[in-house]
Amino acid sequence: MKAGGFSITLVESPDIKIIGVGEGTWPTMRQSLERMGVSETDLFKHCDAAFKQGGKFAGWTTGAADDAYYHPLMLPNGFAQVNLVPHWLRRTNNQSFCDFVTPQGRICDDGLAPKLITSPEYKPVANYAYHLDAGKFAPFLAQHCTQKLGVRHVLADITEVNLAESGDIRSVLTKQAGEIPGELFIDCSGFSALLIGKALGVGFKGCGDILFCDTALASQVPYETPNDPMPSQTIATAQDAGWIWDICLPTRRGVGYVYSSRHTSEDAARQTLQKYIGSELPARKIPIRSGHREIFWKNNCVAVGLAGGFLEPLESSAIVLVELSAKLLAEQMPANRHVMDIVAKRFNEVTTYRWGRIIDFLKLHYVLTRRTDSPFWRDNVDPVTVPDRLKELLELWKFHPPWFFDEFDRLEEVFPAASYQYVLYGMGFESESSPEDIIDTGLQASRARQETERQTAELLSRLPTNRDLLNKIREFGLQPV
Amino acid sequence: MTQIVPLNKETYRDLKVDSRASAAFDSRRFVQVIVKEFPLLLVHYPILFSKDPQTGQFFCGAMLGFDEDENLFLEDWQKRDFYRPLYLQRGPFYGNGPELAIDLDDPRVGADSGKPLFTDQGTPTRYLQSIIWAFQDLTSGTQMTKIFIARMLELKLIEPVDVEVEFDDGSMRRCVGLYTIDQDVLSRLPDSVVVELFRRGYMRLIHYMIASLKQVPIMARKKNSRLLKGTEGLASAVG
Repeated sequence: MKAGGFSITLVESPDIKIIGVGEGTWPTMRQSLERMGVSETDLFKHCDAAFKQGGKFAGWTTGAADDAYYHPLMLPNGFAQVNLVPHWLRRTNNQSFCDFVTPQGRICDDGLAPKLITSPEYKPVANYAYHLDAGKFAPFLAQHCTQKLGVRHVLADITEVNLAESGDIRSVLTKQAGEIPGELFIDCSGFSALLIGKALGVGFKGCGDILFCDTALASQVPYETPNDPMPSQTIATAQDAGWIWDICLPTRRGVGYVYSSRHTSEDAARQTLQKYIGSELPARKIPIRSGHREIFWKNNCVAVGLAGGFLEPLESSAIVLVELSAKLLAEQMPANRHVMDIVAKRFNEVTTYRWGRIIDFLKLHYVLTRRTDSPFWRDNVDPVTVPDRLKELLELWKFHPPWFFDEFDRLEEVFPAASYQYVLYGMGFESESSPEDIIDTGLQASRARQETERQTAELLSRLPTNRDLLNKIREFGLQPV
Repeated sequence: MTQIVPLNKETYRDLKVDSRASAAFDSRRFVQVIVKEFPLLLVHYPILFSKDPQTGQFFCGAMLGFDEDENLFLEDWQKRDFYRPLYLQRGPFYGNGPELAIDLDDPRVGADSGKPLFTDQGTPTRYLQSIIWAFQDLTSGTQMTKIFIARMLELKLIEPVDVEVEFDDGSMRRCVGLYTIDQDVLSRLPDSVVVELFRRGYMRLIHYMIASLKQVPIMARKKNSRLLKGTEGLASAVG
């Protein structure tokens, strides 16, 4: 293996279906696809892709009818210059934190798209990610990788993994295509973790004690008319034993209930989902084994995707780890076997850190609840279920609202401090603030506030509806420049 | 309102049409053009790409002014023999397949001072003939221009350009949504592509577009002297 001079073979079972949850991505997906040379217009046309401008969390704080907040994808205005949290805490009106710092919640409220038909591919007006049909996205990428990037695609079932004396994987034996040797093996075999788990014996570290949801019921809901309005936010509505995702693709909605089987029965969960949808539709049951491998790179094998770990599909966190891992691997591809263990060690450190932060961040959504109406929500705030690091931060944030510089010690932090702000103050977390906190930054804050108001007025009048823009993109396409 | 009908010599034999440029119809800062016009445009107007706000598709256009509805060339069109782009020359006429159609509700139609469309013998006048030719050019030319643009996009030769001008009265204009030829990409094209572009006549068009950018400062001077005179031009006063 030499840097830049390797070949890739993808061995895929012809029979195992893809999991098909996780139809929301992160904004990083734009860069990932652009780097791969994918046309965004093709993505929209072939994967039933739509815009995603964030998450709307309904019923997570009190469960009341008007209980909802946004976690938008735009950073607060002036985020690098000023922490707007103390200014918001001392506001004189009842504006939400989101509306105080960014126009994106209002854009979502109005059902507007994050860009214009004249915006180039991948260029946002308002930051965005995608909702897409995962069942179409996988073959779309496979085609791109085999036709444009020279990846060899072998449809075969792995029957055996051959190890060398050193413990490295020498080759995989397949039912249909014989023996396939390699120098580095990337385990994308899903939950079964054929290489990293079964062959190399790396253990699994569950986190069901922190995140209780362990089952999903996934359903597809047709629109009443082809031009029904389409929200561009993932709507996550809290239920008595979990939450329901609601994602709008141009052709249908994807709706599913993620729940804790310790807190409700499958029958009751199916009824909850039916009640949300308003009609009886088939729902596929998917087990969720929350957790990740103890390490992700052992010897000459790296686990990416479900083989590395999985969490409930809150905040699209599993798919972003696939992207981040692939990027890390591509950037740090070891030049030879000799340095591989060093690269592996670093990869493991970074990836372990990232899983930890994602688990913390997902738990944050639960631990801030004030709901006491069901055991699921009551159990979620039990201190023994809260990771120590998160506990400490919550204590700190009571007096120091999170911001740009503090707490976040890694260059590629998965969730930026802004995301913590949106969730904390969306859920009414109480940080102390005194008038002195905002004196020095008054000018920057008022500039940022004016900018938000200007952007809000301008974007609400200029942006087309999400549905209209998607129709136009399917008809005319977006331009590359 | 519009009332577009096919043009025929029986019904509309005596119809007259005002063909002159006017503030009411020619006040715009950017007008679509076809590649065939480039040599004629280049000596007066910057030729740029822009996007249709409805479809996002690129088209070629000539820049006529800096402000919305500003046409700095209106007087030239009215008083001198200046080339006026075909999309404006067409006046109240429309293409109707190979036939011509006309909007009877357009105020330029039926004006006493207008030009007749048909001679006493019922044959098209020189004016109508020029419109017929204009539509022949526009029909084929619009398609040729699309193909030219598609090739430019494929070769990544189109790049956004910010036209930013500061005037002596202290005001500034920033025209956005304009694109031109990326000269860095152009200079790095492989030889085989250069030959292809040359043989297809595209290299000429590319250089017309690049050269036409020199018209921006000339237009800016024109605008500048109007601003200083305090007579902000006929166009924007009426527009």
